[in-house]
Amino acid sequence: MPTPADDPATSDPQASALAIETRGLTKRFGERTAVDSVDLRVPRGSAFGFLGPNGAGKTTMIRMLLGLTHSSAGSATLLGRPVPSQRAQALQGVGAIVEEPRFHPQLTGRENLRIVAAVRGPEARERIDPALARVSLSERADEKVKKYSLGMRQRLGVARCLLADPQLLILDEPTNGLDPGGIQEFRFMIREMVEQEGRTVFISSHLLDEVEKICDAAAIVDRGKVITQGTIADLAAGGTGAHPELILGVDHPELALSTLSSSALVLEAHRSPEGLRVVLAGEPETTSQINAALVHAGVGVLRLEPVRHSLEQRFLEVTARLDAPETAPTPTPTPESEEVQA
Amino acid sequence: MNATVAAQMTSADLLKLRRKRGIMIWSFVLALGPLLIFFLANALEHKSPEYRDGLRALSLLFGPLVAILIGVEAGTGDASAGVFRDLVVTGRPRLALFASRVPAALAVCWSVIGGAYLLLVLGIFVLALGAPTPDAALLVNGLGFALLASGVMCVIAVGFASLTTSKPGAIIALIAWQIVASPVLANISSLGRTRDIVLSQAIAHFSPVHVEGGRGATVAMSQGTAVLVLVAWMAVFLALGAWRTSRMDT
Repeated sequence: MPTPADDPATSDPQASALAIETRGLTKRFGERTAVDSVDLRVPRGSAFGFLGPNGAGKTTMIRMLLGLTHSSAGSATLLGRPVPSQRAQALQGVGAIVEEPRFHPQLTGRENLRIVAAVRGPEARERIDPALARVSLSERADEKVKKYSLGMRQRLGVARCLLADPQLLILDEPTNGLDPGGIQEFRFMIREMVEQEGRTVFISSHLLDEVEKICDAAAIVDRGKVITQGTIADLAAGGTGAHPELILGVDHPELALSTLSSSALVLEAHRSPEGLRVVLAGEPETTSQINAALVHAGVGVLRLEPVRHSLEQRFLEVTARLDAPETAPTPTPTPESEEVQA
Repeated sequence: MNATVAAQMTSADLLKLRRKRGIMIWSFVLALGPLLIFFLANALEHKSPEYRDGLRALSLLFGPLVAILIGVEAGTGDASAGVFRDLVVTGRPRLALFASRVPAALAVCWSVIGGAYLLLVLGIFVLALGAPTPDAALLVNGLGFALLASGVMCVIAVGFASLTTSKPGAIIALIAWQIVASPVLANISSLGRTRDIVLSQAIAHFSPVHVEGGRGATVAMSQGTAVLVLVAWMAVFLALGAWRTSRMDT
C-alpha cells in the first residue's frame, strides 16, 4: 500500500491537480467485497459523476473517503492530502452529504446550521445567512426542520456543506426527492459552483440522465469496481479513440454493403433494424466521402445519420458485460476499461 | 481546538437539549412533581414538610432520574437524529464531539435540579407552620448535595448512552441499576466491602442530612473511598463512551 510519502501530490496539497485520488481502495465486509481496488482520479474544478446501480458500492466509497469507515486496503487523497492520516486538514475544505441529509427535527433550519457551524469554527457562523440564501431557504430558515419537505432538506444539506466554503463537495444521490423544478435548479447551482466558483463537485448517483446533464466527467461503478471513467462525451462514445458510426438508409442495401466493405474509410458495415450500420475508420468528416462513393456506385442514399451514443447505452453495455456468464465470449475491451481495471 | 470553538460546541449541544421538548417536560415533571405531591400530602395531614425528606427524594431518587433522561439524550441525540456523521465529516475529532456533550448535559441537568431545589426550599419555609427550618449552611450543603448526586449520574448517563447508542436501552438499564439493583445490592450484607462500589451508596455518603436505612447510606465507607468510587464510575463510563464514539461506523 502506498504511504503518503510515496505520493507526490501530498508534498504540496494545493499543487495537486486532483481533488480526489484513490489507489487500490478496497473495503471488505467479511467475505463480501463492497469496494474492490478502486483507482479514481477526480480533477479539480470539475463536476464528476460516480455512476452506478444501487448497491454498487458508491456510498461505501464515499464513507471511506470521508473517514466514516476504514478501508481494508489501498490509499486515498482528498485535495492532495492523504486520508485518514491528514483527514482533519483535508475535510476543512470539504462539504459532504452522505446518503440522505439528516437534521435535528426539533430545531429550525438556521439552528441546524448553527450546530454544524459551531463545530466548523467561528468563520463558518458568518456563512450561515449566505448559505441559506444560496439554496433559496432564507424565508423558511426559522421553521422547524420537521416541517420541511425532502427537497427542502436536500437544499438545507447543500447549505450545510457550504458552511465550509468547500473546494470539494461530495454529494451522495443529491437529487433524491427533488421535483423536476428542484432538479433543474440543483443542476444550475452545481454548474455555477463549478464554472464560476471553481469548486469541485463529486456526485454519486444511479441516475444516468442526471450525471450526463450535470457532470463533465464520470466513473461507472458496478459491484464495487470502477468499470470505466473519462469525460461524459468519451464515455458515451465508448471511450477516447472510439470510432464514429453512421446509420444509412439506402435503396440497394446489398450493393451498398459491398461498396462499403471495399472502402478504406470503413471499418465495418452490417445490417441493423434501423438500416445499415457503418463504423468509420477515420473522423466523422469522412462521411461526405462515403456518401459520394455510394452515389458513384449507383446506390441511392435516402438517409445518413450519425449515431449519437448516450451515457445510458454505454452504462448498460458495461454493466451487461458483468452479467454475461463466464463461458460467454469475452467482448473486445475498450481502451479505457483496460486502463481502469488494470 | 481553541476555547472559542469548545464554548460554541457546548453551546450547540445545549441548544439541542433545550429544544428537545419531551425530555425537558419530563425532566421538570420528575423534578417538581414529586415535591408538589410531597407538600400536598403534608398539607393534607396538617404537618410541616421535613426538609430532610424532600432533599432525599430530590437528590437520591427523582434527581438521578432527571439526570438519566438528560444525560442519555445528550449521549445519543446526534446518533439517533442521524447527524453524527455530518459532524464527523467536518474533520473535528470525534473525541471533541463527545466531550462537548458533557458540560451541556450538566448545564441543563443542574438548571432543572436547581429549580426543583428552589421549590423545595420555598415550600419548606412557606409551609413550616412554626416548625424549625434549615439554616443557611444546611441549605447550601443541601444544594451542593443535590447537584453532586444529579451531576454524577448525568455524567455516567452521557458516557453509558454514548457507549450503547440506544436511547431506550440506556434509560432502562440505568434506571434499573439505580432504582432497583443498587438498593438490593446495598442490603445484601454478605457482599461485605464489595458494596462500597454501589454508586448510590457512595453518593449518599455526602448527604448533609442523616439518611437512615433503606434507600440511602446503608453501607458505611470513608470519605476517600466515596470520592474514589464516584470518580471511578464517571471515569470508566466517560472512557467507554469516548472509546465507542471514536470508533463507531456512522
